[in-house]
Amino acid sequence: MLYKFAILEPVEDVHDVRVLEWHGAVLRAFAPGDLMVELETHKAVIEVRAGQHGILREILCRNGEWQKLGEPLGILSDAADELLSASPDGLAAWEAIFEIT
Amino acid sequence: MSSEAPSIRLFFREAIARALAEEMQLDPNVIVLGQDVGPFGGSYKEFAGLYEQFGPERVRDTPVSESGIIGLGVGAAAAGLRPLVSITYMDFLMLGFDPLINYGAKLRYKTGGQLRAPLIVKTTAGAKGQGVAHSQCIESWLMSVPGLKVVAPSTPSDAYGLIKSAFREEGPVVYIDHKRLFPTAGDVHIHETAVPIGEAIIRRTGHDITLVSHSYMIRVALEAAQLMAKDNISCEVIDLRSLAPLDIECLGASVARTAALATLEEGQITCGVGAEIIARLQETLGPLKAIRIGALAAPVSSNPVLEAACLPNAARVCSAIRLLLQSG
Repeated sequence: MLYKFAILEPVEDVHDVRVLEWHGAVLRAFAPGDLMVELETHKAVIEVRAGQHGILREILCRNGEWQKLGEPLGILSDAADELLSASPDGLAAWEAIFEIT
Repeated sequence: MSSEAPSIRLFFREAIARALAEEMQLDPNVIVLGQDVGPFGGSYKEFAGLYEQFGPERVRDTPVSESGIIGLGVGAAAAGLRPLVSITYMDFLMLGFDPLINYGAKLRYKTGGQLRAPLIVKTTAGAKGQGVAHSQCIESWLMSVPGLKVVAPSTPSDAYGLIKSAFREEGPVVYIDHKRLFPTAGDVHIHETAVPIGEAIIRRTGHDITLVSHSYMIRVALEAAQLMAKDNISCEVIDLRSLAPLDIECLGASVARTAALATLEEGQITCGVGAEIIARLQETLGPLKAIRIGALAAPVSSNPVLEAACLPNAARVCSAIRLLLQSG
């Protein structure tokens, strides 16, 4: 199954995030609790950890790039050989845990 | 502004920090003074990195003494430095009115041009849940002061450009940003003097009404314009950027086309920015179809419900525009 990875819950006063650093390249397997990516907001850093098992298949926002909160940052899948879809639209939401530091 | 100027996407605070870092690199006389501007990097982190790069001699934490530090800034400017004095809350700029107005703004006049006070007083205005004494927008109080310029950006690019332009001035400039702008991000055009002081900008073209605003309220104005478009009412939204001097030429040209004017500010409309704009335009264009929109005549509460009720929002702007356009 393919998953769309985005910060879906609202964060007070945050509309835009900048990717500070991905902690893994495409095809890295993540387990629950693994640090996936650090996102920078206007006054804090958000550490995003995996909430489920999965494999990073596509990075949609690279280090230093911007994204709106709620918009996809990457695509993950249960298995490494699953065919990617043309668009993240309609994909299941990837479970993530985020902490504002 | 050069269309070839490179641009980079930055948070609002980063645009300010970048402009300051560049100016401090260019001119060793530029110093920054204020509460928490040093190792803490500023209340909104808008001075982040400056202390590490330029050291405690040029980035100085000061006590909570607005009158004292503005007076210090005026004196330092008169002695040849180029200070930026940070006043965290615009509400407390009131405490510094004597040194800013009676000394900074009048210095050139009092000394027959022998002394000038090229300082920037940077302050943050606006409501964001912090109550009656930490929410005010009092920029209109400063617009009538001879010798003082007043600017208010609404975007990170203009924050960058207006600070750089302010450092080119020979007299004092009050630079006013807004608490609600700090979470925003935008493309910043990196250019030596990207935003001339005294120049407004049309943010959205239209032909049914001219809607003029500044600072955070530009976002409300644009939201209102979007809503009015659904009713086939086309609003031309103008961002003042500079409150003293006002770009009356730009405003007049727009109102001459639309024949209707709404002014929007977060401050009070009594003796407000809008009152001055309408008066000035009527002097040149004659009687105008015009309306002022601003905060209700009450202190802004820290209670979120009461705060929201007091401040203009897109719905109130739309109601005011409809009322104006429906009137004779």
